[in-house]
Amino acid sequence: MKHLFTLLMVVAGLSTLTSCIKDEPLNAECDITGVDPQWLADHADLLIGNPRVENNRVAFTIVTGSDRTQLDPRFQLTPGATVTMTADGRTVDANGAVRDFSSPQTYTVHSEDGHWQKDYEVSFSPRKPIGRLSFGNYALDADKGRYYEWYETDLDDAEAKHYYWATGNAGYAITGMGGTPDTYPSAPAAGGVDCEGSDRDQRCVRLETRDTGSFGSGLKMPLAAGNIFIGEFRSAQAAVFPRKATRFGLQLVTEEPVRLEGYYKYTPGETFIDKYKTVHPELRDMADIYAVVYEAFAEGSTEFKPLDGDEVLSSDRIVLMARIADPGEPTEWTFFSEPFVLQKGKTFSEETLRANGYAIAIVCTSSRDGAYFNGAIGSVLYVDELQVVWKGDE
Amino acid sequence: MSKIFLTLLLACCSLTAAAGDTDKVKSTDNNLLKAALRGWQVRLGAGFNLGGTSPLPLPAEIRKIESYQPGLCFMLQGAAHKRIGTDRKWGVMFGLRFESKGMKTDATVKNYHMEAVNDDGSGTVRGAWTGKVKTEVSSTYLTMPILATYDISKRWMVKAGPYFSYMVHGTFKGSAYDGYIRDIDPTGPKTEVQSASYDFSDDLRRFQWGVQAGGEFKAYEHLSVSLDLSWGLNGIFPRDFGSVTFALYPIYGTLGFHYLF
Repeated sequence: MKHLFTLLMVVAGLSTLTSCIKDEPLNAECDITGVDPQWLADHADLLIGNPRVENNRVAFTIVTGSDRTQLDPRFQLTPGATVTMTADGRTVDANGAVRDFSSPQTYTVHSEDGHWQKDYEVSFSPRKPIGRLSFGNYALDADKGRYYEWYETDLDDAEAKHYYWATGNAGYAITGMGGTPDTYPSAPAAGGVDCEGSDRDQRCVRLETRDTGSFGSGLKMPLAAGNIFIGEFRSAQAAVFPRKATRFGLQLVTEEPVRLEGYYKYTPGETFIDKYKTVHPELRDMADIYAVVYEAFAEGSTEFKPLDGDEVLSSDRIVLMARIADPGEPTEWTFFSEPFVLQKGKTFSEETLRANGYAIAIVCTSSRDGAYFNGAIGSVLYVDELQVVWKGDE
Repeated sequence: MSKIFLTLLLACCSLTAAAGDTDKVKSTDNNLLKAALRGWQVRLGAGFNLGGTSPLPLPAEIRKIESYQPGLCFMLQGAAHKRIGTDRKWGVMFGLRFESKGMKTDATVKNYHMEAVNDDGSGTVRGAWTGKVKTEVSSTYLTMPILATYDISKRWMVKAGPYFSYMVHGTFKGSAYDGYIRDIDPTGPKTEVQSASYDFSDDLRRFQWGVQAGGEFKAYEHLSVSLDLSWGLNGIFPRDFGSVTFALYPIYGTLGFHYLF
């Protein structure tokens, strides 16, 4: 009888509850989820690589010298969302509208339920070859203004902000541990290498391995290494496939690189832990600064496929690598110059170079094994005045 | 908890012992007892609870209840009942009940705003969660119902009234899994999460109250069976609790068996 009673109550309860489920609410999200593949195919001659779609930015890289005054990109949006722009003071539908991209254009996406909207900055920029990287150009993230992002400027294109740099800051923001922007793993700092230039150039980048709190520990990711690299950070994957979130490299290779140079100083943290937070007193944390040049396209494909955290140092697509073997623990600014070493069985081909077939990634991290969540909380790496010396510069 | 249980058990045993061995002694003792109680009838009961802790109405963010599993919830109650008035149909009942309430659910939610403070208080994870949520609630209460009773017939009685509970021990925990969180609000960066557990047991309210209503059937002179519905009227979390955005009310049905002295 007890079982019958239980059964009756459960059935009654469930049926009452299911009938209480309200109608599906309209979508609250308002994202640009991608670019229309047909539009990408139609403009394949214009574009280099893939468009970088982030939470409030879409960046296209175009062939130098191409016309960007009349472009009509079409985007894929969250189901039910609409995208608008302001033209002559009026708000009009923007998907596929022809716009002048001599300077970045703003698109506003509205959610289906009408409560939320988000601005996207869409830019078409010819790629800028990387020269001297002083980390002097940074801004708070356009989203919620909680952490810094770095970009490169262009002498030829005053308004262009090339967000070539990526950091793990967006992933750190999710843990709820971030306070002011200076407490994030990657932050700008004063006291950069003294050099002639603007006041901004006196800044360097400060990378510190930070504690991710109970949220991170619960995911077996108890620390977040401070890092900065050329490429993209996809925060969507950061908590499930952390090494797939870091996409290293962009097709910025216009010449054969010879050396990677720059300045750094490093102090490791006290206690080395692994992803289970087990202390390893015999191990000491180490910094890592390296650059790899790799084949942008996987075998038989013409689509740019960046290297992720698992393969950035081991992939067979890597052609050249420059890396400080043992950075040590210098407390003063120390100059380094590492040659790009040709990898076994690989050649640097002019033909591939002309076809934009090479991508370069420059990576700096305060914990060498931070991608696998081994490191010491509190390790600090300062980097400034990085430079890739190309063959033509010699 | 075991101390209270033991005390109640001892009280139960001593009362039954007091009922006497032989019939003659039994009836004399009974009359004396009844005279001493001045019309108050003492009863002791046991039973079990079945129900759930639910928001009312179900918010639109809850898209589907994947599963619901009631917990094994017992109750032990002692009460005093007196009939009043000339026709002796109305009555009042005061009780003291030791009970447990609990359940497990699995639901799919969409754009559900949540906030969770890190264990060491160092930061807050907040955002809109879309995905699955597993919840396990389990609490033990000391409840005092104050009921008005009415005899519909010789055997049937209905009762209703408020109840006041003190939570002796409570658990509210679970995990959010197979979904993604949008940082701060639905426009924030999206991060997929495989599984993140939470435990809000420390934030549960200590004092709860609600209304109880039900019916009772007097099967034998000294035995009755009751079926009650207890409906909580204050949420299990304080109003300013940010991690659960809607109020959760305990709604439980109780099947009880009472020995009437």
